[in-house]
Amino acid sequence: MKLNPLTHKKIRRFQSIRRGYYSLVIFIIMIGISLFAELLINNRALIVYYKGEYYFPTYGQMIPGKIFGLDYEYETNYRELQKQFQAKNSDNWVAMPIVPYGKLETDLKEDRYPPFPPSFQEAHYLGTDNVGRDIVARLVYGFRIAIFFSLILLLANYSIGISIGIVMGYWGGKFDLFFQRIIEIWSNVPFLYVIIIISSIVVPNFMMLILIMAFFGWINMTWTMRTVTYKEKEREYILAAKSLGASNFRILFKHLLPNTVAVIVTYAPFSVSGGIVALTSLDYLGFGLPPPTPSWGELIQQGWANMNAWWISISVIVSMLITLIVVTFIGEAVREAFDPKLHTTYE
Amino acid sequence: MTAYLFRRLLLIIPTFIGITIMVFTITRFVPGGPIERMIAEARMQKTGLSSTRPSAGDQNQPLSEEQIQELKKYYGFDKPLLVSYFSWLGKVLTGDLGVSTRYYDPVWDMIRDRIPISLYFGSITLLLLYGVCIPLGITKAIRHKSQFDNISSIIVFIGYAIPGWVVGVLLLILFASHWEIFPLGGFVSDDFQDMTVLGKVWDLLLHTILPLIAYMVGSFTVMTFLMKNTLMDHLSSDYVRTAIAKGLSFEKAVFRHALRNSLIPMATHFGNNISLILTGSFLIEKVFNINGMGLLGYESVVERDYPVVMGILVISSLLFMVGNILSDICVAIVDPRVTFE
Repeated sequence: MKLNPLTHKKIRRFQSIRRGYYSLVIFIIMIGISLFAELLINNRALIVYYKGEYYFPTYGQMIPGKIFGLDYEYETNYRELQKQFQAKNSDNWVAMPIVPYGKLETDLKEDRYPPFPPSFQEAHYLGTDNVGRDIVARLVYGFRIAIFFSLILLLANYSIGISIGIVMGYWGGKFDLFFQRIIEIWSNVPFLYVIIIISSIVVPNFMMLILIMAFFGWINMTWTMRTVTYKEKEREYILAAKSLGASNFRILFKHLLPNTVAVIVTYAPFSVSGGIVALTSLDYLGFGLPPPTPSWGELIQQGWANMNAWWISISVIVSMLITLIVVTFIGEAVREAFDPKLHTTYE
Repeated sequence: MTAYLFRRLLLIIPTFIGITIMVFTITRFVPGGPIERMIAEARMQKTGLSSTRPSAGDQNQPLSEEQIQELKKYYGFDKPLLVSYFSWLGKVLTGDLGVSTRYYDPVWDMIRDRIPISLYFGSITLLLLYGVCIPLGITKAIRHKSQFDNISSIIVFIGYAIPGWVVGVLLLILFASHWEIFPLGGFVSDDFQDMTVLGKVWDLLLHTILPLIAYMVGSFTVMTFLMKNTLMDHLSSDYVRTAIAKGLSFEKAVFRHALRNSLIPMATHFGNNISLILTGSFLIEKVFNINGMGLLGYESVVERDYPVVMGILVISSLLFMVGNILSDICVAIVDPRVTFE
């Protein structure tokens, strides 16, 4: 990919801001791990060796217990299978993931009631929640949902915002006036409350919730893009392109849009953290994604309701803190790289 | 300016109608409204079984068709949407927000009881916010890139990353549940009535501190950095350089010249804070179980008490809009360069 030397310079500047650069690396690793969470945290085994054959149950159809010589038709309980194989001391073996619990699976004990505190013996490294689901599993799968939620929300908000904003700024006129009024109205909606009311009524799924949030979330980007476009279109290079006979389409996509990328990129990390916080808040209140979807907000709610089980809230708050700080550091570094402000200081 | 403000005031009307009609429409098509609840209650009395979820089209309908019609008439569900919306709007304009379908209290009375509590937290938050952030911002700007600046930046940054209500949960777990220094929430203790004056003040204080921190976390970073960055912008501007070149002491240049101009954006922010304060925050009020407007709004949504939902929506959106206009007026007063067209 051929990069504009200016962009190249910005990326170099970003890399030179260590805090932000390492945060980005950590963030990418976090997303990468969460993408392959099934291989690390799952109640399905990674590999089962049974009677000379290998099975890989992680992805794909569930394998009924009968296949492994058990007496049931439903999905194999691999933890039990592992114990069984070990007890029999046979050639067969089961390789379980690091955390051998599923995201929705409740691990019930006969003599105790959940929540169970962290225990390395049982591989509940951060304990279980109030109904006995493993917290590590809930955290990682919840992270995956939250991060993709906010990325898709960002995409939705920005594509609406950028297209309307550019048109408003570039053509102005009646269209601009009309949307100005709409934005003025929209920005006065107490939107968290309205979202809560809406999602208390239509229990939303993933895409529905994004739709509802985007319905109220597009104005910020629209307004920013409008202002930026207004400024940019007065500059000489646009005038030059115009006098050379470039079409509006060409000016917009070839000249204007690339020059507004800096603004878009600068806002993006903060929108990501905003999206995560919004989803977590809604889930905490019980108006986010329906249970039993793994979610941080729901975990905080459990920790709040059951404060003696400190491991629930501490682990989710710490993971939230890490994620949000990482994203914020990235955002700060991006801002500094794209818009360096050099201050005079007096000695 | 006047024309601008007049337009803004006029814009309240379509905004208000837009918001309320949207929510009003949604609330009309919901299962679990007052009539469904009454049917469920009647069924519970009949069968003695408790079922929280009323299912539509149930076989053994406890209320007769006539009774249901009567109920619908009582709640205005028998009329078409627009008709009942405008009759609701008409009542609102005369100051009648209706009666709660859950507690059968007038909605306005319920809200009025809660406003002082939200206001109490809001005003203290605002006071402390300005009282702490302005000096902190100034110090950070003057000592830019010093040890103090870097360390405080990190702390302030963490506060920025994590939302106030999550901080609230953390504080509750640490200081109320684990160390038991502070109460577990609520506005006052149960035996508040029997306390001495001093005891009352102490009790209130104990209940105030944790929520207050949670409230402040939200705006603290923004305000501090706003102060710092604008002051630094002004410090590097020509007029400050001139002042120093003329032989003015640095202190005077900062406090006499740069600071005055740097306070403008802080004043601008005032309007944003007003609306935040009056409506409170659901999340923080829910975390600390404070009976403010936010919690009332949340509970009414959960209980599907739609007159209260609409009432809160009316009050909070009005406050929000007035707050925004106030913010604009603030800007125009403080900054003579701003003229709204």
